[in-house]
Amino acid sequence: MCGITALQLRDPGLRPRLGALMAAMMAQVAERGPDSAGITIYPEIAVLKGVGHPAVLATEWRLHEISGTQAVAHTRMATESAITAAHCHPFVVGDGLSLVHNGSFANHATIRRELLARGVAFDSDNDSEVAARFLAYRLDSGDDLEKALRLLCERFDGFYTLAVQTPDAFAVVRDVIACKPAIIAETPGWVAMASEYRALAVLPGIEAARVYEPEPEEVYLWTST
Amino acid sequence: MSFDEIRERARLGRYPIRGGGARRAVPTFDDLTFLTASASRYPLEGYREHCATRTVLGAANARDPVVLEIPITIAGMSFGALSAPAKEALGRAASEVGTATTTGDGGMTPEERMSSKTLVYQCLPSRYGFNPDDLRAADAIEVVLGQGAKPGGGGMLMGQKLGPRVAAMRTLPEGIDQRSACRHPDWTGPDDLRIKIEELREATDWRVPVFVKIGATRVYHDVRLAATAGADVVVVDGMQGGTGATQDVFIEHTGIPTLAAVRLAADALADFPDVALIVSGGIRSGADVAKALALGADAVSIGMAALVALGCNDTVHDFGPASYADLGTTAGNCVACHTGGCPVGIATQSPGLQARLDPVRGAERVANYLRAITMETTMLARACGKADVHHLEPEDLVALTVEAAAMARVPLAGTEWIPGR
Repeated sequence: MCGITALQLRDPGLRPRLGALMAAMMAQVAERGPDSAGITIYPEIAVLKGVGHPAVLATEWRLHEISGTQAVAHTRMATESAITAAHCHPFVVGDGLSLVHNGSFANHATIRRELLARGVAFDSDNDSEVAARFLAYRLDSGDDLEKALRLLCERFDGFYTLAVQTPDAFAVVRDVIACKPAIIAETPGWVAMASEYRALAVLPGIEAARVYEPEPEEVYLWTST
Repeated sequence: MSFDEIRERARLGRYPIRGGGARRAVPTFDDLTFLTASASRYPLEGYREHCATRTVLGAANARDPVVLEIPITIAGMSFGALSAPAKEALGRAASEVGTATTTGDGGMTPEERMSSKTLVYQCLPSRYGFNPDDLRAADAIEVVLGQGAKPGGGGMLMGQKLGPRVAAMRTLPEGIDQRSACRHPDWTGPDDLRIKIEELREATDWRVPVFVKIGATRVYHDVRLAATAGADVVVVDGMQGGTGATQDVFIEHTGIPTLAAVRLAADALADFPDVALIVSGGIRSGADVAKALALGADAVSIGMAALVALGCNDTVHDFGPASYADLGTTAGNCVACHTGGCPVGIATQSPGLQARLDPVRGAERVANYLRAITMETTMLARACGKADVHHLEPEDLVALTVEAAAMARVPLAGTEWIPGR
């Protein structure tokens, strides 16, 4: 129902090309999410969101001109909440945590109520925002990102493939059944994750990359270099 | 009140007493329906994908919390109201499916202790049969403030059922009507209750959880006070909850429907994340269980339904010696638990009638029933995309009537309208 792409650069020489590479990746998952799209680019934590076809948005944003160290993007086919820029992923919360989600949570209303009771504020009625706020709340409580993602797996029910970035890290996690697609590729120059392999195929050096499917409820985490 | 009921009172000069629960039509869980998954949500595969039912109660305070394999327990029903074989059968059934059963007014029998893996020991206003030895043999303690069939009233056991064993356990004379106290002798308010709960914890060395059971009336405040007083689990029994004997006027004219009570109780516990909620009163099907959990219960309790599974109102003794006809009723309509003449050997102390109930075969039926409604519960949870029945939430439900929408505070089907919101 949605497309995810995420990229963390290890080779500083690729940084000027970050936006161009993300635009190319997003174009490959546009069918999965033609309603709207969004992206966070680090280290500036520049957040771009809009309603419309992802390829059109990437051009509007002049994404190919943007450089950076890592980025996480989402192309959206809305399930339960409205098609507006505010409902677009990534949900960027706390100290620069960005989360994109493919799937739908089954118990998010209860978790939202629990977080509201603890003083957490929300910007939208989107189920994915609940996951982002949950992670930020756990990080605020002193957990590291890996622990917070494990707790998320314990607490959240439903179907999800999540890509999360913070100023220091990039992580991927899937639910116990793992039926929403995800594929990871790693080379000495970068680590990338996408909903489909074709979005990874646009990356330089993909032919020599280590390509694998993330396991259910396993937290994959890479720290920024 | 019907003309017949007026004539009955005119003839007797007193009020009628009976068993069972409220028979009038009130809004129930049947007035709600689930929004199961299609495209915006995904259902879980019933034959391959796990849906958890395990329920842990009282882990915050008790060294040995109550661990249930299913979110359905058997409610308190006394030895006295029920026969010894009936109590044994309920214990066997509960143990077989991994859940708890509960004592009642009059104390704990060795048969039910032995047959029940997890036994909740009630502390009632009467304190009949209550003693420190049985207290320490229990897996949880339930302080009973009230019961859905008669909130504000006390227990009752007619003289016909006060046989030698029951009378001895309660230190009462045989054959004389027992009317239990309606409030505890050593405490009245929540301040005293707090001390009572500490006393019970001390007596059991902080080993087992303490439940507090209330009849559903002023639910929000009562549940909050029970939690504030230190309960690990609050049990809320709605007006459809049954009894072995009480005044008809209590059964039909006190308390609020279970459907309305759940939401109020869940609201009251919003600030007490460690306190669990058990709901009872009219729970019959897996749909009832799933809806109660969705509205905020952690588990449900069943009484009447377990007795029906055991053989209550079975047609085998419609006629013949000691039949429903002798009680002036028929199978399917019998609420004559109070008479002690139960034709199927469940609500009786008569040795001849008790012999009609085989505890082993009865337990099989109750265990089958518990398994079946657990499967129904997980079926609905999976269809809502939940890998754990406790992940059901109010947003999974809509109401079919305006009354149910208002009580359960879920939207009327096809609208976003919640009356009063």
